[in-house]
Amino acid sequence: MNFLAPLGFLFALTIPVVVVFYLLKRKRVVKLVSSTLLWQKFLSETQASAPFQKLRKNWLLILQIILLILAVLAITRPYFPTKARSSELRVLILDASASMQSTDESPSRFDKARKEALSWVDSLREGDKMVVLQAAANTEVKQSETSDKSALRRAIESCTAMDSPTRLIPALKMAESLIRDRDKGSNPEIHLFSDGAFPDSSEFENKALPIIYHKVGQGANNIGITALDVRANPEDASQRAIYASVANFSTNNLETEVELKFENHLIDTRIVKLKPNEISPQVFLATQTNDGVFTIHSTLDDDLAADNDASIVSLLPHPVKVLLVTRGNSFLERALRAAPNVDLTVDSDLQNDGLAYDFVTLDGVTPTVWPKCNVMAIHVYNTNWFDKVTAEEAPPIVDWVPTHPLLRYVGFDNVRVAKSLLAKTPSWGVAIVYSTQASLIVAGDLGRQRIVWIGFDTVESEWPLRISYPIFMANAVEWLDPATVRNSQLLVHAGDPFRYGLSQPVASAEVTMPDNSTRKLNVDTNSNEIVFGDTFHHGTYHLKAGTNQTDFCVALLDEAESNIKPRDELKFGKYNQISATTLHRANMELWRTIAAVALAVLMFEWWYYHRRTV
Amino acid sequence: MANPLLTPELLRRLEQFQLLAARRAKSSARGERRSRARGQSVEFADYRNYVAGDDFRYLDWNLYGRLERLFLKLYEEERELPVRIFLDSSESMTFGEPRKFDFARQIAAAVGYVALCGFDRVSVIPFPDNPDEAAMRGALRTVRGRKSALRFFQNLSQLTAKGSANFNEALRRGALEARQAGVAVVLSDFLDPAGYEQGLTSLVARGFQVNTVQILAPDELAPTTYGDLRLVDSETGGLQEVTFGRYRLASYQQMVQNFCQRLREYCSARGINFFMASSNTSLEYLLLKQLRTAEVWG
Repeated sequence: MNFLAPLGFLFALTIPVVVVFYLLKRKRVVKLVSSTLLWQKFLSETQASAPFQKLRKNWLLILQIILLILAVLAITRPYFPTKARSSELRVLILDASASMQSTDESPSRFDKARKEALSWVDSLREGDKMVVLQAAANTEVKQSETSDKSALRRAIESCTAMDSPTRLIPALKMAESLIRDRDKGSNPEIHLFSDGAFPDSSEFENKALPIIYHKVGQGANNIGITALDVRANPEDASQRAIYASVANFSTNNLETEVELKFENHLIDTRIVKLKPNEISPQVFLATQTNDGVFTIHSTLDDDLAADNDASIVSLLPHPVKVLLVTRGNSFLERALRAAPNVDLTVDSDLQNDGLAYDFVTLDGVTPTVWPKCNVMAIHVYNTNWFDKVTAEEAPPIVDWVPTHPLLRYVGFDNVRVAKSLLAKTPSWGVAIVYSTQASLIVAGDLGRQRIVWIGFDTVESEWPLRISYPIFMANAVEWLDPATVRNSQLLVHAGDPFRYGLSQPVASAEVTMPDNSTRKLNVDTNSNEIVFGDTFHHGTYHLKAGTNQTDFCVALLDEAESNIKPRDELKFGKYNQISATTLHRANMELWRTIAAVALAVLMFEWWYYHRRTV
Repeated sequence: MANPLLTPELLRRLEQFQLLAARRAKSSARGERRSRARGQSVEFADYRNYVAGDDFRYLDWNLYGRLERLFLKLYEEERELPVRIFLDSSESMTFGEPRKFDFARQIAAAVGYVALCGFDRVSVIPFPDNPDEAAMRGALRTVRGRKSALRFFQNLSQLTAKGSANFNEALRRGALEARQAGVAVVLSDFLDPAGYEQGLTSLVARGFQVNTVQILAPDELAPTTYGDLRLVDSETGGLQEVTFGRYRLASYQQMVQNFCQRLREYCSARGINFFMASSNTSLEYLLLKQLRTAEVWG
């Protein structure tokens, strides 16, 4: 046993003082009695004939000396050193993601992690320092480097679990920056209190971070909604199709009732039976007469409640107004008309900014006025979108990105191009079709303008003869439609910021949270969008900014987060694995226990004293 | 007959009693107690041969008629029963509410009155000695006859308690002074550091039929003063320091019980009647019930 404050032994000097008090003669009430014969039994304790008396065996004195010894011991803060290394700096990372709300630990994983973290604070030796980070969607420094235990305790106690997924990498980067320049002899450590419910990462494969992983959690009894989308029913445009994925992450067969609600009115319900680790896609069909919020709810009472609900805003579809500026391209015109719900206008030039249309397609034409709306530019040279554009004869198509929404069900296997403009991929967009040297098709967002640039003239290629051509155009209509963009922005993952474009400047806005509390936002009048970051809890939010109002939804929808099975080891790359530690805190401080015993002795001594004198 | 110690009603009821002596009276003075001595009474005792000089009035003429021999009829002599009352009048007897000494005097008055009514000789021996009360104490040394009762009560009521008593010495001296043994009544709190054994043994050895009444004050049985105390002994002036609390009352009472029990057992082993009374005990209950049940009188 060692002592954190050995100077506390100086307080032992109070013990002789107490003894001296007992040597002193006590002031007593004089009472005349007939005879002291009957009092012989009580005489032996204290008798005095002088200012100082002979010290006798006195239980009260013994109790008080025991009490003082215990108090002195508590002041010296004894501890049992354990096998954990001493460390001059510990960076505590508390995982505050949604999975930490699981109730397989009582009362929750997060509370248990917090309690364990507090015990590490208690074991901090004098001079050792600690940093507290809270890792959820964002990494928050709850307490900078300090050895002040009360500040560290306050910081840990102020941490709360959120409905957001874990973004561990930023937290580890921050921790790494804190310990990077430390002397190796100081043994800096990163203590991660987590259930390991986050994707693997190879970012720190070669860094050999001194991570000590404190695993929290026991079970994995959870069914979660991991995906949600709403679209027009492809078979019946008057209906809406709600796509949801329900996943079972437990090791048992589970059954749940999945409910579909529209504006909190129950529309449909069905029983879903799931095998272990099975993901079941569910499609609900519903008729929608006005804009509103669809909510999917799993009724099973499992360990994690945050992923049992997911909501999505559904706006009624409107015809997409498209202006085709061309000198004549029947393939393109027919392909655009074939896309669902398109109101196509064909013209040879654009004289205004085109804001009357949802998007403008420039087919080899440089307009008189450049459009401010979304643009699909085909074989247009003068765009100012690229640093350098070159021309090439018969460029081969070597690769494309099938995961991009524009290339859904689109392939370029048997497409040849006679001549094309080639551009280097700009910073605002991504190349989705490549030639050997540069990009053939680029898509991206430049400011508030969504752009698709196709380098080659489609009529000088075989593409219009392929089935992928009308599919691409249908995808482009959907991707360039501002309503699609808006719709996609109305569902954000927990922890991600919500962005809302402003058509006119506003000075302030107000957001009503899912719990009906409100947040005031001050908006820069020069800003053309509102960014709201407090999206840490799932549910439906309401934004009011000037005359604009909108609902938006926050949902977890994270498979890695819903998979609450605690992981025994974390993988940072192929060869870097960190196992859950069984390490206990470095110093098992005993002063609280000793203080509790001292309190008990004090109470007994009080009782004993009053038993004799009252 | 007014007296400050006993009520007329109690006196009237006491007149019905007579001290019961287990032994025959040995006094030389005539009285109303049967004795082993032969003398004049109505109780026939024995015959003996006539010798010259005997009183002819006691010859049994019927026997002479049958046997033609002269026999003298002998009768039992009735003697008085000496009753000695040892009254503890030390300082410790002044404690209690009512005072132990007052209660002891009342018992002494009652016992004395019963004895006087039975034509017995009563001696009250207060101890320790008090030269200031020599006259009163002298008058109480020998009291006989019912007509002396009033003076007896008056003297008794004028006694005071003070000084330090030597219990053993007082009883031993009282036993030696007695010319004949009789009934001894010891009224004390028995709180003498030197003990009580020698004194009681002296009385028993002298042939007394001993009755003891231990009188304790209510505050001695259950003290009501708590805290850190410095106790001053009323007789010796000795200082003792104690720390006493309500939670220790049971322990104190157990100790008092043990003290009384030892005294009771000591008396019982020597054929001594023992009575224990708090000074606030009903006098009637003690005199008319307890002493009668124990056949001190009947």
